[in-house]
Amino acid sequence: MTSPVTPESATPDPGDDVAEAPPRRRTGLIVSAVVAVLAIGFVAVLATREPATDRRRDSPLIGKVVPPLAGETLAGGNFDIDDHQGRWAVVNFFATWCVPCRIEHPELDAFNRAHARSGDAVLVSVLFDDDPASAREFFDRNGGDWPVVLDGDGLIASAFGTPKVPESYLVTPNGRVAAKFTGGVTRDGLDRAIDQIEQAAADRGAP
Amino acid sequence: MTRTRLLGWLAMAAVLVAALAIGVADDGGPRTPEERARSLAETVACPACDGQSVAESDAAASRGIRTLIAERIDQGASDDAIRDELVATWGESILLTPDSSGVGGLVWVLPVVALVLALAGVTYVFWRWRGMAAVHASDADRALVDQALAPSTRAGGEDP
Amino acid sequence: MNAALGQGGVILGVAASLGGVATLAVALRQRRLHLIAVGRSYALLALLGAVVAVVAMERALITRDFTVQYVADTGSHKTPALYNVATLWAALEGSLLLWVLVLTGYIALVVHKFRRRLGDPLVGWALLTMLVVSSFFFLLLLFPANPFHSFDPPPGFDGPGPNPLLQNHPLMAFHPPMLYLGIVGFTVPFAFAVAALATGRVGEGWLLETRRWTLFAWGFLTVGIVLGAWWSYEVLNWGGYWGWDPVENAVLLPWLTGTAYLHSVMVQERRGMLRVWNLSLLCATFSLTILATFLTRSGVIASVHSFTESDIGVWLLSFFGLIVAVTLGLIGWRGDRLRAPGRIDSPLSREGAFLANNVLFAGFAFVVLLGTVFPLIVEALNGDQLSVGAPYFERMTVPIGITLLFLMAVAPVLPWRKASGELLAQRLFWPGWVGTATVVVAVLVGAHGLAPLLAFGLGGFAAGSALRQLVLASRRQGWRGVVGRTNGGMIVHLGVVLIAVALAASSSYDTERELTLDVDDSATVAGHEVMYVGPRTVEQSNKTSIRARVSVDGHVYEPAINRFGEGETAVGTPAVATSPARDVYLALLQVPDDDNAGRIVLRVVVQPLVLWLWIGGAVMLVGTVLAAFPGRRRSPTAPVSEPPRQATGAPLLAPANGDGRVGSTDEEPVEVPT
Repeated sequence: MTSPVTPESATPDPGDDVAEAPPRRRTGLIVSAVVAVLAIGFVAVLATREPATDRRRDSPLIGKVVPPLAGETLAGGNFDIDDHQGRWAVVNFFATWCVPCRIEHPELDAFNRAHARSGDAVLVSVLFDDDPASAREFFDRNGGDWPVVLDGDGLIASAFGTPKVPESYLVTPNGRVAAKFTGGVTRDGLDRAIDQIEQAAADRGAP
Repeated sequence: MTRTRLLGWLAMAAVLVAALAIGVADDGGPRTPEERARSLAETVACPACDGQSVAESDAAASRGIRTLIAERIDQGASDDAIRDELVATWGESILLTPDSSGVGGLVWVLPVVALVLALAGVTYVFWRWRGMAAVHASDADRALVDQALAPSTRAGGEDP
Repeated sequence: MNAALGQGGVILGVAASLGGVATLAVALRQRRLHLIAVGRSYALLALLGAVVAVVAMERALITRDFTVQYVADTGSHKTPALYNVATLWAALEGSLLLWVLVLTGYIALVVHKFRRRLGDPLVGWALLTMLVVSSFFFLLLLFPANPFHSFDPPPGFDGPGPNPLLQNHPLMAFHPPMLYLGIVGFTVPFAFAVAALATGRVGEGWLLETRRWTLFAWGFLTVGIVLGAWWSYEVLNWGGYWGWDPVENAVLLPWLTGTAYLHSVMVQERRGMLRVWNLSLLCATFSLTILATFLTRSGVIASVHSFTESDIGVWLLSFFGLIVAVTLGLIGWRGDRLRAPGRIDSPLSREGAFLANNVLFAGFAFVVLLGTVFPLIVEALNGDQLSVGAPYFERMTVPIGITLLFLMAVAPVLPWRKASGELLAQRLFWPGWVGTATVVVAVLVGAHGLAPLLAFGLGGFAAGSALRQLVLASRRQGWRGVVGRTNGGMIVHLGVVLIAVALAASSSYDTERELTLDVDDSATVAGHEVMYVGPRTVEQSNKTSIRARVSVDGHVYEPAINRFGEGETAVGTPAVATSPARDVYLALLQVPDDDNAGRIVLRVVVQPLVLWLWIGGAVMLVGTVLAAFPGRRRSPTAPVSEPPRQATGAPLLAPANGDGRVGSTDEEPVEVPT
């Protein structure tokens, strides 16, 4: 096996009139350095992005008292969030035509069942831009027995400033909005958020 | 170029320009309100579906926005006015393309900047090459090549 | 048993890959080059591990063995047989099994092809790189994305089945494997690029020897992307085939840089130039495949296509960072020293055209990457929520596409080194008339608008140029005139022209209407009569299909809404009335039931020439296969730009040399004037 020929290792012929390589440019080094800087920034941005689910968002509502949330439910009864002071509340805006809503539904179901037993949190959904019949069918098929408030005129959604679904709000036992999630929630994500807020409150010594 | 060839090219240019002129002028008539609504709807993001426009999505919110657009067009509003109204209600992210001003504008500007840089780079490289003398192979180089070619250079690997 | 077997396979893969890396590292460091051959054994062991794992998983899926976690999460008794096999790649962990299978398969092929050169450090470095990549993916399968966890199914347990969207169409069986054969295939040329940089040996024939790998990987990727668009069209209910979705864009990026590479590598073959640039393109292509996999699986960008996210995002991003760091380091350190001393004489030449091609494709990739990640960057910088959607990408890429069409027309007739206007006027004459005729015909059938007409005209121009090349080559060489790199490439160009024309037509002249129809109601959309005949319900093992029988111009089609499982999800399945001239796309938006008195809501989209997108894709595939054809056997290290002078003064090679390359594209035109 002949060893490979490397022209670069050939010694330059002193008799050459020309054909010396041009003075070695540093273009490669400079370009690599620039690209490296951009790449580092890029990776840093990607590394710090939150996943598309359990996305906490800013909202002008955070820290404020929860907007009025009362109305007729899918089952025909009445729901008013003020009745549930003293418990955590998860307000979930959803619609049956919204694919991420369908994906989060089992998570909400799990959350509801876990906390229904302990009674320390209540889950309420608000129907967003959808008709009650579809919602009824959706719940019949997929299970879930928490109150679903109808919001035919969209007033509740406007009060919360909800432009799209799915969106969920976490309300403290004192009735203040503590967090807003977009893009679907998971049961673990909600539990973690509740723990986190409780921990922060305990640290601050706030009620 | 021969006369015939030149005439041929001129004839081609004439036919092409004529056809293009007809094609571009005959726009299928002025844009109907539906077409205008559709084209506007294609630039508005569906609030509930990732990345789709209200023109494509069959979500109720999309239908609502499409109805709103149609109403506003009937009332004589301009495209920009409608877009502004949607942004005021739903936020910047309702538009599928960022505005040309502000941070969003970067997404339009950066490609142009990149293109200019690329062209500048290529021009510079050609200018530098022009300044270089052509490379001639020296005898030493030829000897190297002969050495490389002399034993069988079919080195082992066959085509798969 | 399956779980244990599969787990064992993965562990074997990890051990073999890491062992191989260690052995090769020692071999290369201490110059004990005979150890590289030992690396081969490790590579084959890794392949064995992958095969065992995949076989175990497929067995578990087919027998619905719910003791395996992955099967419990994605399998089901109700899923039909074909889809059970395809369930392997329906979710994250299983798709990684497919990845390692393809990867170790390629590594084994490389080891076989280079079996007589295993003492060469360059091959050793390449093998090392490939085993590092395979170690990474096996480690993914062992830790964050382990499909072989045990599960204790309660009695009577049945899994949920794969995502309903992935059970709806047989294309699901082909699209991901094709895509992976392409994406994973780029690992091989990348490995050789790293090897070349590490050893400093960029001036040799290895690049040409791996050309075919790159071509095949690129071909598979092309097919994978076209199949993906076709799947999107036939399954997702929106009537389009390309939404500039982040996942689609992510997969397009390596295709763009790969295409740029396939062209500029010809400059390297001919003139020995652009070596470092080509190496950079290969490194960029591979990095983009890792980035694509990160974007798809990490959930950082929400998309219809993305897998559910898990910790895998951190791993993938770290690997991406590592790859970028290593390649940038190598290029920065070595790149300047490895530059060739040549130059390109004139921008109006084949080399100049390829350079322009690269600039355009790089610009294309830049725009697509920028648009895809821009919302993330803006959100990181100041918290704003922006969307960048289809209108942005279209506005940016249409001019690039049109310029590329023009380049496709002119480049094949350009000779190497230098061209004159005279030459171009002579050679482009008939292609020019083909383009003009196309515009005339288009206007006659009613096309309007500058952008589509430009696309049609330039498409015709490019097609004429490609056909001219093929005709000349066939006249010269008979059947060999359609094989080999240049001629196969011309056929690929023809496929691209078909796709470009179809894209222009279907997006510029589409009509969309939403109809509400009672039984026996009809409406006219873009000249087609659409009538609702009646409903029909079909029960299948995994779904209940509520169909609306709709007649389009007399033929009945059945767009449907399918309910899967316990009615968990309802997924719309469109029906398409296809014909060469136009597609009539029917999407059922609302089923007939008691609430709405049996009325349906139907979206009808009429788009011209959609069929030609898929035909164009098939033509591209044919062209790729033909381009890979060996052509007249020529030693890879034989010089191509000028026949070297030997003692006898006779050129080493005849002018009309291999690959069916037409002699007239050399320095002096020899052809008969057309």
